[in-house]
Amino acid sequence: MKRREFLRKGGWFLVGTGCGRGLLMVAAASAAGADTRWGMVIDLTRCPADCRACVQACRQENNVALHGDTRHDIHWIRKVTIRKKHQPDGREVSLPVLCNHCDHPPCAQVCPVKATTQRPDGIVIVDHHRCIGCRYCLIACPYNARFFNYRENEDWPNPEYPKRSHGVAESCHLCAHRLDQGLQPACVDACRQAGAGALVVGNLNDPESEISRLIAGNPVQRIRPDLGTEPKVHYIGL
Amino acid sequence: MDIHYQPLEGRSPGYRLLLAVLLSLVAAGFFATFQMIEHGIHLSGMTNRVPWGLQIVMAIFYIGLSAGSLVVSGLYGIFGKLEYKPFARIAAFMAMLFLVAGLLSIVTDQGRIDRVFVEPFAHLNPTSMFSINPALYIGHIMICIFYLWALFKEKGNLTKFSSVLVVLWALCVHTGTGAIFAFVPRELYNTALLPPSFVAAALSSGAALMILVLVSLFRITGRVLDRVLVIWLGRLLAVFIIVAMYVILIENVHRLYLIESREATGALLFHGYSAWLFWGGLIGLGSVVPALLLFRRRTGTSVRWIVFASVLVVAGVVCERYLIVLPGLEHPPDLFPGYEIVASPLDEGIVTYSLSFLEALQALGVLSLIGFIFVLGLKYLPLLPTEARAHGESQMLRELIASVDREPVEGEVVSRR
Amino acid sequence: MSSRRILGVGRNAAVAVIPLLIILAPLGHAIYVEVLADDVDDAQAFLELPAEPNDGCVRETTYMRFHHWELLREVRDEVVRGGVRKEISLTRCRECHPSREKFCNRCHQAVSLEPDCFGCHYYPAAAAGQREVTSR
Repeated sequence: MKRREFLRKGGWFLVGTGCGRGLLMVAAASAAGADTRWGMVIDLTRCPADCRACVQACRQENNVALHGDTRHDIHWIRKVTIRKKHQPDGREVSLPVLCNHCDHPPCAQVCPVKATTQRPDGIVIVDHHRCIGCRYCLIACPYNARFFNYRENEDWPNPEYPKRSHGVAESCHLCAHRLDQGLQPACVDACRQAGAGALVVGNLNDPESEISRLIAGNPVQRIRPDLGTEPKVHYIGL
Repeated sequence: MDIHYQPLEGRSPGYRLLLAVLLSLVAAGFFATFQMIEHGIHLSGMTNRVPWGLQIVMAIFYIGLSAGSLVVSGLYGIFGKLEYKPFARIAAFMAMLFLVAGLLSIVTDQGRIDRVFVEPFAHLNPTSMFSINPALYIGHIMICIFYLWALFKEKGNLTKFSSVLVVLWALCVHTGTGAIFAFVPRELYNTALLPPSFVAAALSSGAALMILVLVSLFRITGRVLDRVLVIWLGRLLAVFIIVAMYVILIENVHRLYLIESREATGALLFHGYSAWLFWGGLIGLGSVVPALLLFRRRTGTSVRWIVFASVLVVAGVVCERYLIVLPGLEHPPDLFPGYEIVASPLDEGIVTYSLSFLEALQALGVLSLIGFIFVLGLKYLPLLPTEARAHGESQMLRELIASVDREPVEGEVVSRR
Repeated sequence: MSSRRILGVGRNAAVAVIPLLIILAPLGHAIYVEVLADDVDDAQAFLELPAEPNDGCVRETTYMRFHHWELLREVRDEVVRGGVRKEISLTRCRECHPSREKFCNRCHQAVSLEPDCFGCHYYPAAAAGQREVTSR
């Protein structure tokens, strides 16, 4: 009879622990703002072709490495100029390209240690303490938006924010450290200061937010939506 | 049938010299890896556009080789072909070492090697093939050790059970390795045919390497190796080559047909170095020529020609592994279909991967390490049989012996009737 | 028991115990110096402490001495993976302990430990006003 009782009590203990863990996870999720879903809208009609304010601000804020070597340089956000194929005199469009913080991120799917994960608020972020540097996420990303620290980065423009040592992968995380404190990402602020205001980051789940109204009121496009990754960076005027 | 296993004496100056050379190459490999740990992986030829290079190519090559070895070993273990019992132990040992080499190649390629021994085990990601595969590889190594132990014990049922287990697990391992690439949304990776083509090329390269290793080992140690056994293995290899070529051709025709991957596949198959590697290396010299050699009676019954065909097959499969990994990375993902990128701070077009010396040294170090362990194993473990003879029991072998009825050429091992 | 027997036992005991004592002596010395001796609090001068009076650390000294890395790990996982930022951060530690050289490095060097943190997280080795950046 003692064994049976032990097993019964043990079973309830496990159930209780499981429920407790589940509650903690829910609590953690709600603490991180699980009902917030961050997205970005880029209004290309306001984005000057030769402006690099967002790129420079991101590099400055996040200590993004620049070595002067296109093979190893890191660009969390970059300006890309495109033109229709077979039209050498066609219209050229310049647009910022960055991590799209997909809702079905292939990078998080393939990370062997779950260093790259999607936070409950929709931001895809790399845990640089856990990354083993396998570079599988670079391969899985269909947007060429992920980078690897092949070299040590000697510059540290913003000591208030960590830099990355060599051996880990990284990509834009929508300045999660700023969003968590109620600030806007560095690129958004810089764009506003440069007078363009083309970048807007906000809560996609809030129908009253600026970003939701922009998406609702304008024809927006995303890069390669056919891949099914559900990118959350939208372009107006692409 | 009684087989006596006699290890190498291992006292000859040639043996010691071989060990010394291998050990120094291992040291060089360590040095190269240490340099990359200290200064960063930029010392290799890999870049943000081509994040995987020689180490991963060699890793999948080694893992593929282990399949072929196990099939040869399984000929005895599963199908009970007594003629292949002499090779079972060496094949199992080689399979285990190839897996170790594969794992080592991957581990030395990581950005944070100090973490790779902790994090993948503490935080497994079931959706990541890079997480599932090491679990499969390590399990496979353990099963290979168990299989080797069963072969040493010589208990019939245990051998059969472990043999079946090891082959089934090997199938999972190789499908998983192919899946590392196949399950990723890159135009030149994303196909369900990649795991089967990986397995097929693994079988052919492994069988070819087994032939090479067995013939050279028996010849160097002056032990008798029945020519008929080699001819039989050559025929097995020929079948594997045909199957591999079939799957690879279908894979590429399919990619060429689909509009979304047509441009990338066209570039791979018909432009640049990859075209040479594919048509010249893989199909021509690596598949068609060896198949012809092995199927034609005159060359298919000559040990010398079989060895030559095996070398070609191994070289062809190295080309194939390179073609699996690199062109998919060198060709950019199509971000804006219908548009071309005219300016960007990154290299957005087709890039080329170039090897670096340290990277090659690293790969050489890994190969030398398993070579070192293999050579030591030949001395300290009862792996090498004193002789390997065919018995004329099976009808097919009898016919084969009859068809091979001619004067033995000088230098070939003599067949027994 | 005969006297010869007692002598035999004694000799065996000596052969076993004396080497044991020789091996354990440094450990005993360390235990004495670190734990038992009266002047053990002078060990505090080993680290540069914030000026009194101060608000106190986020945890008490004994806890920090034996568990600060666990605390940092928990905070790190909360912040990075959960996005939950509370009052504990390395920046706040620097408010009271501005010099890595005179605080963190002292114990780390004493136990021959090289934590990975400072290659990425800014914690100046010298005092404020003199920025020093070290990589891993």
